[in-house]
Amino acid sequence: MSSAATSMPRRSANTLGHKLRVAGGVAISLVFLFPIYWMILTSFKDQVDIFTTPPKFFFTPTLAAYVEYMQRADIVNRLINTIIVATGAGLLSIVVGTMAGYALARIRLRGAATFGLLILLSRGVPPIALAVPMFLVARKFGLIDKHITLILAYSTFLIPYVMWLMRSFFMGLPRELEESAMIDGCSRYGAFFKIILPISLPGVLSTLIFSMILAWEELLFALVLTNRHASTIPVAIAGIAGDTVNGANWAALTAVGTITVIPVVIFALMVQKWLIKGLAEGATKG
Amino acid sequence: MSNDTGKSVRQRPALHPGRSSDLLVRWSFMFPAILLLVTMLAYPIFYTIDISFSRFDIASFGAGEWVGWENYIEVIDDYRFWESLKVTMIYLVIALPLQVVLGFGIAYLINAEWSGRGVIRALFIIPMVVAPVVAGGMWRMILDPLWGIMNYWLGFLGIGPLDWFGDPNLAMAAIIIIDTWRWTPFIVLIATAALLALPKDVFEAAKIDGANWWSTLWSVAVPLLVPVIAATFVIRWLGAVKMFDIVLAATYGGPGKATNVINLFIYEEAFRSLRFAESAAMAVIVLVLTMVLTGIFLRASRKLEELF
Repeated sequence: MSSAATSMPRRSANTLGHKLRVAGGVAISLVFLFPIYWMILTSFKDQVDIFTTPPKFFFTPTLAAYVEYMQRADIVNRLINTIIVATGAGLLSIVVGTMAGYALARIRLRGAATFGLLILLSRGVPPIALAVPMFLVARKFGLIDKHITLILAYSTFLIPYVMWLMRSFFMGLPRELEESAMIDGCSRYGAFFKIILPISLPGVLSTLIFSMILAWEELLFALVLTNRHASTIPVAIAGIAGDTVNGANWAALTAVGTITVIPVVIFALMVQKWLIKGLAEGATKG
Repeated sequence: MSNDTGKSVRQRPALHPGRSSDLLVRWSFMFPAILLLVTMLAYPIFYTIDISFSRFDIASFGAGEWVGWENYIEVIDDYRFWESLKVTMIYLVIALPLQVVLGFGIAYLINAEWSGRGVIRALFIIPMVVAPVVAGGMWRMILDPLWGIMNYWLGFLGIGPLDWFGDPNLAMAAIIIIDTWRWTPFIVLIATAALLALPKDVFEAAKIDGANWWSTLWSVAVPLLVPVIAATFVIRWLGAVKMFDIVLAATYGGPGKATNVINLFIYEEAFRSLRFAESAAMAVIVLVLTMVLTGIFLRASRKLEELF
């Protein structure tokens, strides 16, 4: 019966229901994109065009907010800090997490399964439970406001994330790959670095990019562990959004917000195919 | 230990060459992760527990003398702690089911076959990578009672103007709207993949048997999707209990304490009021609560998988 059904020509493309579905899908995606569009639009507005009713969709664009904020030393510094921290945390976590993920997937180790379970559980640890002791310890050793402190703090949630994704990725590879390499005289490291890593490169790169995005956006640890020199962009945005003294500086908020969001969106769209695949596998195999 | 390896070597010759130094090599893959996670994750947790049972010593800025359950008793007597837990619970109970249902619903819509499907799906990545703090800030602007575009539009429907951040219930609604906007796309992406993986012939068979759309959904699609729905719920739960950034940027817990979720409350107590010992006790309580509930959810999702 089912074979007869599948051999039937697809009719759904022309029905009213199908058209409604497509229209609904497009409409909803526009609803979800609108806030970002509105933020970007507002960032090019003059104050008089922002605070007006009805809201303006057409106006003379200005770069004033960008010029003003990109000249402020703290924003430029924060951008540089965010890049340093996101890159550092991403690279550290991808190296450490990929190796551990490989070990969990392919190497038999006593107690490794327990460790893997503990790591999965660690995803439930509220960051505030880590932020308090990290702050106290960092303060004691003079590590407050240093890039390395943030990088290490971010590795606490990035390494489990990378391990988890890469483990399921490696489990999907055929075992014969390293087996034949090791029979041919490759060492375990050789098999991993020369055979496994090169063919896993797309997966590793997309995981790296997503880890960097997570680090790029992080707020709590950045608030707690930095104050001036190593502070990041999300802290600045929280400051602008929460500025009740000067009122809502929407030009600043939207300009800095746009600067924060655009690079991330570009990177995410670059790896979108892998991202979706990773998400789907994470949910079904995790 | 090395004897032990020798045994397993005989069983699996290819991956376990018989050198005892191989044990070192094998563990070396795991070692950096263990080292980092023990120092940066396990140690801080134990330190939090230590502080939660101590009087906080301002001079050494660390755990002072042991005071037993004193901090815990103080926290449990603090009505603000309970209020904050209640606020967090209201947010979770409304936001999580809403996001899961919306996510799968939208996934069904955008999975309709047409040439633009891939583009639409890719677009759903965009809200997902907007920093939560940016999301909070930008929605604060959209929902602004005076100049926000939302109230302007609601005006056409004869609603409002709504004081989104002045009214306690509306402020909670605002937080849930923002959170739903930020996280539903994540569920949409998981759900689209899950829907695509559904076996097509079952649906064709249901159609031939004359099942209508509604009964197909409930007796064919939902049972097949239960494991993914449960897994999605658990993943989203693990993210939602960390709720902090959006609230901080959008309402800062206000008005009053109406949206003061637990993470923001602990943050304020620790870093504004410098009550580290009490905050540590609260953090431990939240940690235990989260772990217990996560365990229950994991078990329940496994049970559901068996049932269907």
